[in-house]
Amino acid sequence: MVNKPPLSPHIQVYRWQISSLVSISHRITGIINIIAITLICLWISLIFLSEIEYGTINLFLNSTFGKFIILGITWSFSFQILSEIRHLIMDFGYGFELKTTKISGLIVIFGSVIFTVIFFIIGKNFL
Amino acid sequence: MVQIGLPEKSQIKKGKYFKDKTGSKNLKKVNVYRWDPSSGENPRIDTYEVDMDNCPSKVLDVLNKIKNEIDPTLAYRRSCAHGVCGSCAMNMAGKNGLACTTPHADIDGDIDIYPLPHLKIKKDLIGDLDGLYKQYQSIEPWLKSSSKSEVTEILQSKEDRAKLDGAYECIMCACCSTSCPSYWWNGDKYLGPAVLLQAYRWIIDSRDEERQARLKKVADELKLYRCHTILNCTSACPKGLNPAKAIAEIKKMLATAKI
Repeated sequence: MVNKPPLSPHIQVYRWQISSLVSISHRITGIINIIAITLICLWISLIFLSEIEYGTINLFLNSTFGKFIILGITWSFSFQILSEIRHLIMDFGYGFELKTTKISGLIVIFGSVIFTVIFFIIGKNFL
Repeated sequence: MVQIGLPEKSQIKKGKYFKDKTGSKNLKKVNVYRWDPSSGENPRIDTYEVDMDNCPSKVLDVLNKIKNEIDPTLAYRRSCAHGVCGSCAMNMAGKNGLACTTPHADIDGDIDIYPLPHLKIKKDLIGDLDGLYKQYQSIEPWLKSSSKSEVTEILQSKEDRAKLDGAYECIMCACCSTSCPSYWWNGDKYLGPAVLLQAYRWIIDSRDEERQARLKKVADELKLYRCHTILNCTSACPKGLNPAKAIAEIKKMLATAKI
């Protein structure tokens, strides 16, 4: 009797590459951003409702957890922007050499952190 | 639907441990995926202690040593041992490649050897590649030209010939396709990097007269556009080719040309 063949392991054993890490993060941040935009819209519309509701939300956003959320969303947007630029360049057919993909991937990862800091400082001090 | 985990019958168990009998001081542990179709058991990982003092430089040499000296029941594909035939494609230390061209010295610590990912296993390291070959057949990988040129040779300029460089060298080892997460989860519809690279090879061949039809055939949400430039394919290719770029070129042709 021939037994049903098993499936060989895939994501369990495959080593992460910089490019695959950026690709999956691009998807995850994409989903986060959709949710974030919806929440931001709700937040804005609360302005029209009343000062009390708006104040409650502001109180939440000023708490440690709220600040963490804001930072998270800022990072998520930064990552998405940089990664999208990388995708755009690739759509033109450039940047497919192994070394270039590694460098551009690293730029996206570290750049997103730098962008987060810059956006946070601008938001805190100048707006 | 994306299935991240392995089915119950595919879960890997701990297997046998083969202790070194040569008394060598330079030992390396080699963990190999095993599955015996006649046993009815789950796949397992067998561990072999291999004497590295008397072992040539490549991972395939390690496997040959295990098969010849330790455990003759181990099954794997191999033929040329020079990176030309593509038989010994497998997953070593978490990355696909040809066992005959991958030096074991490049792998730190234990050497983990698995079959190519997300394939039905026939035995041990031998995966079932029928699906990939069927897809390869579906792109009709042969020159199509009208009958009048059948008796004379079809000339090609040096520039047109140069376009095939980086595409014709593919040995169809399936390292790229089985490294692609998109292909793992949509392999029944998505053609995968290996087949798309070959589709590209025939699309850009100046002698081929079916360019439009070939492009039209491949222009499909599932067949082509499941490529999300994850780029595992390019980093896996043992011949240094770039399937991701070829796929991007096909997408570009479809975006710019009227079909």
